[in-house]
Parts: sequence; structure tokens; C-alpha cells
Amino acid sequence: MTLHIVSKSPFSSTALSDCLDAFGDGDALLLIEDGVYALSGRMAEQPAVKPVYCLAADAAARGLQIPASVTAVDDAGWVALCTEHNPIVSWFK
Amino acid sequence: MPRTAGHFTIRPRMKFSLAVYSAPHSAQAAASALRFARALLHEGHELYRVFFYCDGVHIGSSLSTPPQDELDLLAGWQALQQQHQLDLVVCIAAAQRRGVLSDSEANRLEKPAANLAPGFELAGLGQLADAVAQSDRLITFGG
Repeated sequence: MTLHIVSKSPFSSTALSDCLDAFGDGDALLLIEDGVYALSGRMAEQPAVKPVYCLAADAAARGLQIPASVTAVDDAGWVALCTEHNPIVSWFK
Repeated sequence: MPRTAGHFTIRPRMKFSLAVYSAPHSAQAAASALRFARALLHEGHELYRVFFYCDGVHIGSSLSTPPQDELDLLAGWQALQQQHQLDLVVCIAAAQRRGVLSDSEANRLEKPAANLAPGFELAGLGQLADAVAQSDRLITFGG
């Protein structure tokens, strides 16, 4: 199952909405870099998909709280997610 | 899936390759790639190849001189390359367009200087295709 990695803010890019259109059963979503700004929108209370992961360092660097519906991961957790999923699709446009 | 043996969790060792499309210092992706490379090597996985493509080829320029209190991506990749004998490949066509040249390319094209950093090599897109074929996972860093 696919791991979707979104690295652009939903307020400046369609990366997240494009990703959600392509999201399938068993897939997972990881928010990194400016992608973590999704946590300050609607996704915070009611994620459109699950499971949703978030790079803890990137959220902390932007002063964002990680809601209970989202699982925080460190860099080792990021690597582990990449071993558990295949393929890994990066959304950055 | 992880296999548990006594107190130890044994995870399969995987072969990763990375494709880096992002220019240094203009987006976080170039820094994320280095961070991910360090993490996967620390976790005991193999990094088969890093392919620098599009604006990512600027990471292989030996002339970049960021301020001392900022992240030095080139030094970071070179240190990791030395430590793990990494295969750091810069796309030759993308590099020529952007003025990242090896000694031999600078000579061949009659340019006044070469700037490809030690630890990096120029090669074609075939090396990306090979990395996809040989690796368990390809992770793309762009934006």
C-alpha cells in the first residue's frame, strides 16, 4: 500500500487535495515540511483520510500542535513508514 | 513487518535510493533528503544511490559557501559519502545546463572552470532507472 508524502502547505498548493483524490484503501498519509500546515486546518479535527502521520520536528519548527487524530513520528519513524509501505509517492507541486 | 525475537525487534534491511530534485537553500526538500539519508543509514538500511536531478544538481557544486551558522548541505553529503561510500550521482544533462561541470566535462566543453565537488560524479538518467530497478524503495524529494 502507498505512503503518500505531502510537503507543501494546503494554503499554497493543491498537493494535499491532489493526494487525497488519489488516496486508496490501506494507504497512509505523511505530512512533512510545509505539508504540516494541514494540521492548522480542517484536518486537525476531522482528518479526510486515515492513518495520518506527521514529522514531529517539522511541526515543532512551525509552532504547530499535533492533534490526537494524527500520529507524530521522528526521523526513524519516517524510515520505518517507508519500509512498511510501497510505493512511496511524494506530492510537492 | 517487524519480527520479534526475545527482546529484540528485527526489521528487514532494505535497499533505498533517493531522487533529489530540489535546489539547496530555496526549499526544505534538499535538507530533508540529507536528514532522511542519515536516518535510514542509522537504522541499518542500505543507501544504494542518491540521484540529483533538476535544480538538485546545485547541491554538487563545490563553490557553494553558505554562512557558517547555516546548514551546509554539500559538507553533509560529502561526510556521509565518505562514511558509507555512497554513490552520489548528479544528472549530467541537468548539470551542464546549470553550470555544474567535472574536470573532464569542463575540458571537453572548453569551459574555463570545473566545480563538481569531490564525492559526486556525473552520469545519465540510466543511473536513476538502475536505482529504481535495484532498490526496494525510491523516495523523491522535490519542491
